Amino acid sequence: MVSDCRRRPGWLGWMLMTPMLAWLVAFVIAPTLILAVYSFCQRDELGQVVYHFSWENYRRIFIDSDTGRLGTVYLDVFLRSLSYAGLTTGICLVVGYPVAWFIGRAHPGRRNLLLTLVMIPFLTNFLIRTYAWMTILSENGILNGFLGYMHIATSFDMLYTPGAVVLGLAYTYLPFMILPVYGSVEKLDPALVEAALDLGANPFRVFQKVIIPLTFPGIFAGVLLVFIPAIGMFAVAQLMGGGVDPTIGEVIQNQFFSARDWPFGSALGMMLMLLFGVFFWAGARWWKTAAE
Amino acid sequence: MVTWLCGGWTGLVFVFLYAPIVLLLIYSFNASDMGFLWEGFSMKWYGELWRNTQLIDSLKNSIIVATATTALSVPLGTTGAWLLHRYRFPVRGFLRTLIYVPVVIPEVIMGVSLLILFSVAAGPLNQWLAHFSEMEFGLGYATIVIAHTTFCFPFVLAAVEARLAGIDPHLEEAAMDLGAPPLQAFWRVIVPYLLPAIISGGLMAFMLSVDEVIVTFFVTGPESQTLPIKVYGMAKKGLDPSLNAISAVFVLATVVFVVLAERTRKLNR
Amino acid sequence: MRIARFLLAFVLLCSMTSAVRAEAKKKSVLNLFCWSEYVPQDVIDGFTKETGIKVNVENYASNEEMLSKLLAAGGKYDLIQPSEYTIEALVKADKLAPLNLENIPNIKNLDPAYTKLPHDPEGKYSVPWMAGSVGIVINTAKVKTPVTGYKDVFSGAHKKRIVVLNDSREIVSWALSSLGLPINDITPESLEKAKPVLAEWLPQVRVYDSDSPKTALLNGNVDVGIVWSGEAAILFKKNKKFQYVLPAEGAHRFIDSLAVPKGAANQENAEKFINYILKPEVSVKISDAFPYTNPNAEARKLLTKAQLANPASYPPGDPKLETFKDIGKVAADIDKLVTDLKNAKGK
Repeated sequence: MVSDCRRRPGWLGWMLMTPMLAWLVAFVIAPTLILAVYSFCQRDELGQVVYHFSWENYRRIFIDSDTGRLGTVYLDVFLRSLSYAGLTTGICLVVGYPVAWFIGRAHPGRRNLLLTLVMIPFLTNFLIRTYAWMTILSENGILNGFLGYMHIATSFDMLYTPGAVVLGLAYTYLPFMILPVYGSVEKLDPALVEAALDLGANPFRVFQKVIIPLTFPGIFAGVLLVFIPAIGMFAVAQLMGGGVDPTIGEVIQNQFFSARDWPFGSALGMMLMLLFGVFFWAGARWWKTAAE
Repeated sequence: MVTWLCGGWTGLVFVFLYAPIVLLLIYSFNASDMGFLWEGFSMKWYGELWRNTQLIDSLKNSIIVATATTALSVPLGTTGAWLLHRYRFPVRGFLRTLIYVPVVIPEVIMGVSLLILFSVAAGPLNQWLAHFSEMEFGLGYATIVIAHTTFCFPFVLAAVEARLAGIDPHLEEAAMDLGAPPLQAFWRVIVPYLLPAIISGGLMAFMLSVDEVIVTFFVTGPESQTLPIKVYGMAKKGLDPSLNAISAVFVLATVVFVVLAERTRKLNR
Repeated sequence: MRIARFLLAFVLLCSMTSAVRAEAKKKSVLNLFCWSEYVPQDVIDGFTKETGIKVNVENYASNEEMLSKLLAAGGKYDLIQPSEYTIEALVKADKLAPLNLENIPNIKNLDPAYTKLPHDPEGKYSVPWMAGSVGIVINTAKVKTPVTGYKDVFSGAHKKRIVVLNDSREIVSWALSSLGLPINDITPESLEKAKPVLAEWLPQVRVYDSDSPKTALLNGNVDVGIVWSGEAAILFKKNKKFQYVLPAEGAHRFIDSLAVPKGAANQENAEKFINYILKPEVSVKISDAFPYTNPNAEARKLLTKAQLANPASYPPGDPKLETFKDIGKVAADIDKLVTDLKNAKGK
C-alpha cells in the first residue's frame, strides 16, 4: 500500500529527525536515567542530594526496619493504590459498558449528540469535577443540607473516606472507559448479534460469546486508560481523601515537597514505573494472544 | 428490550455525570457564603473573580503556556509523523514507544523526573549562561512549556499519522514529477492535505496544556503559576464560592471547545 | 521547510520567555513565596499601587515545602517567609542575604521583644512577620467533655473527628511533649519513644491540613483540631463555640519572618515590601485577616479591644513558650518516622 514510498532514510532523513530525537533524549530518556541514579542516592540534613551509592531507599520500601522482614507500609501503599485503581476500573467498566453500548447502537444522528454529551465532562478539567463532588459530600454541603431540609435524620459523613476517593476516581475516569468501548461497539456488525440470536442462543450467551470478544479491543483500551492513570492520580485522592490513607502518588509527591527526601521519592517513582511497565507489558502480551 | 434498559441506564449515568457540574453552576449564583440554603440570586462571585488579580494573571499564564506548547508541538508532531511515514527508520518501534511513554506514564513520574532533570541541569546551565547573558534558567515558563510539549506533541503526531494513513502514496511523487522541488512539494501539497489533522491535533494539544495540573505542579515557578494550579490550591483550602464561579467559566469554555472541535471534524470529512 | 517552521517556533518560544523576563525586569517585580493564608490580597494590592511593583505569589503550607522549592528553583524567589528554626538552618547553610536595614526604616515599629531573637541574634537576615502558637481547638457545641491536652484529644473519644497540621516536626513535638521529653533535643532514642505514641494517635486523624485547617472545623467534618493559633482566632471570631486551648503537656510558639534568599534578583523590591508591611495601618490589615500575634508595637495600638481580647491571638497571661530550634540531621529522621506512620493504614 504505502510501502513503495518508504525507503531507508538517507542523511537528510536522519538530519530532519534530529530535533525530535534530541527532544526525546533530553526530556524522556535523560530524566528517567537521572531518576534511576537518584534512587540510589541519599539526602543530607538540608534535604539536598548526596551522591553516595546505597540500596537504602529500596531496602526501606521492601524490608520493615523493625522486624527485618519483607512487608512495609510502602508495599501497603502500593497495594492500596492498586486496589483503588482496580476498583475504579471495575466500576467504570460495569457502569460504562451499557452506556457505550447504547450510544454505539443508536441512530447516527442521536449518536453525535450523545457523544458530545459524553465529551463535555471528559474534557472538563478534573479538578473542577472533583471539587463539584466535594461541595456535595461535605458535611455542610449540598447532600446533607438537602437531607436536613427534608428533615431526614441521617447525615452522610462521606468526605475524606476511601469511599469518597474511589467515587472521585470513578467519576473522573468514567468517560475514559465509555469512549473506547463505544469505538468498538460502533464497529460491531449488528447482523452478527442478530444471527447469533436467530441461531437460538439466549441473550447471556450471546453477550458472553459474541459481544464481549468482538468489543474486546475497546474494553482493553478502556481498562488501560482508566487503570494506569488511576494508580498515580494523587490530586483526586488528596482532595477527596484528606491526606489519610494516602495513595502512592501522594506519597511520592510528599517526598518531594514535605519530607524532602528526593532520593527516596525517586526510588518509589522507579518502583511505580516498574509496576506500570509490568502491567503494560502483560497487557500487550494478553492483547497479542487474544487477537489470535 | 435490552436497548431500552441500556437507554434508561445511560440516562441515569448522564444524570450522575452532569448533576455535580450543574449543581456547581447553580450555586455559583447563590448569594450565600456556603452550604445548601439558597439566599438569593447574585453575580457577586463572578465579580470577585474578575477582581482577583492572581487568578487573572494565572489565566494569562495558562494561555501563554498553551500557545507556546502548541507552537512547539505542531512542528514536532507533524514532522515526526511525516518522517516516520516516509522513511523506514531502523529503530522505529523503539522510537514510537519513546514518543508515547510520556502520554501513557502516570503523570507523577513525569513530573518528578522532569523536576529532577531541571534542578540538576540548572546549575551547570546557569554557569554557562552567565558568561554572555543576564538570562537565568530556573523553574518557570520554559520548564512548563517543555513538560507540556513532551506529552502534547504525541497527540499531534498521532492525529497526523492517522491522516497520513489515508494519503495517496503518489501524491508527493506527482507533485515532484510536475517539477516542484521536494520541500516545495511537501509544503504546497502534503501540508494542505494534512491541515485538518494538524488543526485538530493542535487544538488537542492546546486543550491538554490548559487543563494540565499534575506535571505543572512539579515544575512551575513563582511567576508562571497556571490557572489549574491556582484552582488546586484554592480547592485544597476548602469550599469557596468563587471556585464555583471559575468552574462555571471552565465548563462554558469546554462546551465552546467541543462545538469548535465538532466543526473541525466535519471539515475533516 | 519543516526546519524553518521548527526554528520559527523555537525562536518564538525563546523570544517569549526572554520578552517576559525583560518585561519583568522593566516593570519591576517581586517574587513572593509565602505561607498560604498569611498575606492578605489587599496588602499586596496596596503595595503594588504605592510602588508600581508587580508581585508574583506562590504559596506553601510548610517550611519543608518551602525549602524544597527554594533549593530546587535557585534564585527565583525574592522574599520568603520561614519560621524561626528554618531561618536558623538557612543562616547556617549561608542561604540568606543580609538585609540592607537602611531600606527598612519602619523597623523601629517593632516590639523589641521580637527582635534579635536566638535564631537571628543580630537581626540582619530577617524581620518578624507574625508570631503565634500551636494549640487545640474544640467545637464546644459538639464536644462536651473537657479537653486540656494532647492526651485528651487522642483519647479515642474523637476518633476520626480530628484535624491536625500536616507538619512532621509539629506532630512529633506533640508526642514528645506528651511524654515529657524536650522538643529541641531530639535523639534517635526519643524518636523511638515517640513512635508508639504516634502509632496510636495518627489513625484517629480524619484530615491532615496545614493550608486551612479551619475549613474542616467550619464544615463540621471534624470536632477537634490541633491548628495554628491564627486559624483558631478566625474560628473564635466567627463563632465563640470554637474554644482555643494551649495543651497542658506543653506548647510552643513560632515566629515567622520575612527573609531574602541569597542571589535573589529583586532584593531592593523585597526590602521595600518589608518596609511597607511594617507600617502600622498595613500591619493592622494583616491582623484583621489573619489574627496571629502581631509583633508590631505601633500596630497593636491600633487594634480593637475585641481583637486584643481574642485568646488565640493574644493568650492571657502572656505565657513564656519556647520555640523550635534547628535540629540538623535529625530532621530527616523525623520526616521518615512520620511518613512511615502516616502511610500505615489505620488498623
